[in-house]
Amino acid sequence: MNAALVADALSKSFTTGAVRTDVLRDLSIEIAAGELTLVSGPSGCGKSTLLAILSGLLRPDGGRAFALGQDLARLRPAELERFRLHHTGFVFQGFNLFPALSALEQVMLPLGYLGLDDAIARRRAADALAEVGLGSRLQLKPAELSGGEKQRVAIARALAKEPQLLFADEPTSALDAANGQIVIDTLHRIARTHGATVLCVSHDPRLVGHADRVLAMEDGRILADRRTGAPMPA
Amino acid sequence: MVPLARKTLVHEWRRFLPSALAVAFSGLLLLVQAALVFGIFNSSAVYIRKSGGELWLGYPGTQSIELGRPIPQQAEIAALMDPAVGRVEPFNWIDGDWRGPADKGGVSVFVSGIDTRADALMFADALTPAQRALLDEPDGVIVDRADLAKLGLSVGGQAVINGHRVRIVGVGSGLRALGGVNIVTSLATSRRLDNGDSGGRVAYYVVKLHDGADAAAARKRLQPQGQARTFEVWTRDAFARRAVTYWMFETGAGLGVVLLAIVVFVVGALITSQTLMGAVAGSIREYATLHALGVGFAQLRHVVLKQAAWVGAFGLVVGGVATALVVLLAHRRDVPVQLDLVTIAVCATLVMGIALLSGLAAVRALRHADPALLLR
Ligand SMILES: Nc1ncnc2c1ncn2[C@@H]1O[C@H](COP(=O)(O)OP(=O)(O)O)[C@@H](O)[C@H]1O
Ligand SMILES: [Mg+2]
Repeated sequence: MNAALVADALSKSFTTGAVRTDVLRDLSIEIAAGELTLVSGPSGCGKSTLLAILSGLLRPDGGRAFALGQDLARLRPAELERFRLHHTGFVFQGFNLFPALSALEQVMLPLGYLGLDDAIARRRAADALAEVGLGSRLQLKPAELSGGEKQRVAIARALAKEPQLLFADEPTSALDAANGQIVIDTLHRIARTHGATVLCVSHDPRLVGHADRVLAMEDGRILADRRTGAPMPA
Repeated sequence: MVPLARKTLVHEWRRFLPSALAVAFSGLLLLVQAALVFGIFNSSAVYIRKSGGELWLGYPGTQSIELGRPIPQQAEIAALMDPAVGRVEPFNWIDGDWRGPADKGGVSVFVSGIDTRADALMFADALTPAQRALLDEPDGVIVDRADLAKLGLSVGGQAVINGHRVRIVGVGSGLRALGGVNIVTSLATSRRLDNGDSGGRVAYYVVKLHDGADAAAARKRLQPQGQARTFEVWTRDAFARRAVTYWMFETGAGLGVVLLAIVVFVVGALITSQTLMGAVAGSIREYATLHALGVGFAQLRHVVLKQAAWVGAFGLVVGGVATALVVLLAHRRDVPVQLDLVTIAVCATLVMGIALLSGLAAVRALRHADPALLLR
């Protein structure tokens, strides 16, 4: 099994009141390392649910999810936490930055929980921020940053952990087109240069041209799987 | 480690202010209540503590000074025969009915008849020799200045106690009693006011021992044995403690105070926990992101408890300063208040307990820090 992420016949449904919705229906995919895979589809088709299961935030009803060869169903909650701490980064639609912390501190924070000492964490955080183009913005708080810059801080926060898996859920939805493009290109570059597996889910059709591979999703199923041959972003 | 708890507190202090104020208010209530209680209860012992002498002779079983009954004169004689005894001073204590200006009606008072010599033991710390000398005027009385309004008179004013005319010749301070107004007179005046009911006997004898004498040993020697005791002997401290204990535990007031403290604690904890939960919930999406990144609940809990501890510390300081101001004001107004280090430590512990318990409640807000929350 070479793929970094494997979904094997995943199914998941939610019951609200008397209504049962099948969100994932017998879904199987394999996602490779070193590229940006985009799951694209309309709102409500189950993209976030798929991402949550593959990242170990949610358990499926049926089927199995493998991350880095590890069957996630076999991990107990504490082990899942540790797995995420060491191997995964997340970027969400809302940037979820602590208003009290500077960009540098936002990025350093998870590194402290990884057990890195302050000097190393500071260096890694500064490198990660430089990589997303915020090398001159280290001391600014979220209130002093634009939306695009905030999302890039969030990417740096995920990136500084040096994760093998990077998950992004609608990372550009709160941004204008130009900033959205910067963000998706940044994710793309991280996949290439760090050899990371980047799984991005979004309903935004403008991102399609920026991914290595696009999975079109609808109604809990993958309908199309396309390689785009997108050029390496500048 | 990035000090997340502290930085968030400093940056978002407005969100945490309500809980800090709730803590401060709980602290203020607990401390002021304790100060008042100890102040009032100790005022039942104030006559004993503000007087000289090492031993008190009184009616057997007397629980508090205002419950004194006349004792036979042989008590004085027995005391004078003991080699350790330097001086024996009679102290009279009688109940009185005060009639002053018509609009104030009757006031029930305690009359303290004391030795008026400059070096007398009774009220040695409360009255100056000059004030004592004023009492040599027949039917002259001294009252606490804080009681003047209650009596509706000022210095020079006249009133009637137990049918005898008296005149206020001066005012003192620290003479207030529990349950009534304390009127200080000379021994001679007090006997007149008594209408001869006690046959010339007084309620207490205060004993001064020779320098260096062992008070406990002297008490043992003077204490009459057998069933038919007509008086009892206490050391000064023991008698003072009896009075405080009596008011605290025998009157039910102590239980009331404990209940009130529990109410303050519970209400304080409820308000603090509610406000703290709100403050913590404001960062719920950020905590959920940390949790997605693999930071465990135990570590997030640690952040919240740290914040709670800071909130508690801040509340404690604010509550402490406010209490100091209230106590100062009370002193100025002659309201009996008293705080000792043990009481302060107990209240501080309770207040910190409120903050930390509230922190634990706020940790519940973290349960909603489910990363799935961020995916919708
Ligand atoms: N926790 C949940 N409880 C109930 N229904 C849910 C829950 N999470 C998702 N859903 C439903 O599942 C469907 C797919 O959700 P989601 O995976 O978030 O879609 P997408 O990310 O593609 O917009 C939606 O109809 C949503 O309402
Ligand atoms: Mg979604």
